[in-house]
Amino acid sequence: MSEPILENIRTRRVVREMTDEPVAREQIETILEAARWAPSGGNLRPNRYIVIQNPETRRLIRLVSPGMFQKAPALILICTNGDVLAEHSLPPTDRALLIDIGTAAQTIMLAAHALGLASGPVTSYSKEAVKVILNLPESYSPEMFICIGHKANTTKRGMTAWKKTSWRDLTHWERFPDA
Amino acid sequence: MSENWVLKEDEAIELLALLITSARIQMEEPAHYGPLRLLTATERLSSAIIERASEKSRDFLQANIERIPDMHMQMSDTDAYAAGLDELCRRVAETLLRHSPLPEDDS
Ligand SMILES: Cc1cc2nc3c(=O)[nH]c(=O)nc-3n(C[C@H](O)[C@H](O)[C@H](O)COP(=O)(O)O)c2cc1C
Repeated sequence: MSEPILENIRTRRVVREMTDEPVAREQIETILEAARWAPSGGNLRPNRYIVIQNPETRRLIRLVSPGMFQKAPALILICTNGDVLAEHSLPPTDRALLIDIGTAAQTIMLAAHALGLASGPVTSYSKEAVKVILNLPESYSPEMFICIGHKANTTKRGMTAWKKTSWRDLTHWERFPDA
Repeated sequence: MSENWVLKEDEAIELLALLITSARIQMEEPAHYGPLRLLTATERLSSAIIERASEKSRDFLQANIERIPDMHMQMSDTDAYAAGLDELCRRVAETLLRHSPLPEDDS
């Protein structure tokens, strides 16, 4: 596969061990600019992003995030802004909201990878504790952290290789036959 | 018995944060993440206390710090995961005996 975007998609992996090396501000801005182009249901764009680099804030976030194994130098928190939902009379359970978080998350991770940075998503944290630590506005719901940094030179915390499932195993073509 | 103080207040509060938030998120996560969270707590507690712990515990704590990160990322192989946990259970029992030796059976 030589097409660079396909190659980028294929080679991105979640990284759970990162070095202390900071991430340059311009790189974070490039990533956020990429996220802005992610598709959004109804083009409502309910996502808001919070960037956290302060070491003490990151430490506290990690303490209430059992699924955050990385000590990442930068965190991007994807939030849903409830005010946007209210404007359009959408319930917080609208499934487009979750999909919007997904399109943004993958865009952020691929953009980071394209810049030679490591990334890892985290949803295993206490939302209530994160709201308190970040003093989030009432309307913001913290949906997913993306840890950004540089990959540490270790095999620690590597996942076992994903079973060699091909796209064929995951795909069905056309209508299912009658039983 | 060892009666050393091994944990600082900040470290204890950090561990409580992990336990409480784990309890909450576990309500929405797959059941097999439960052991993962307990192992994460084990690894962090071992790291926090190893420097002040006595010789009797040190090997056990060191093994936890070294093995757990790899172990709990390989949950998909259930048999290997269970075997790894059984090994930890044997080692904690040995450590307990080192701290509280039982009298020989003289019956
Ligand atoms: C919705 C979602 C939530 C995730 N939450 C976490 C998390 O809390 N902690 C973590 O270490 N990885 C998390 N991951 C990463 C997955 O475990 C990872 O993508 C998967 O194991 C495949 O690895 P790969 O992306 O390197 O191929 C999450 C991924 C997704 C899509």
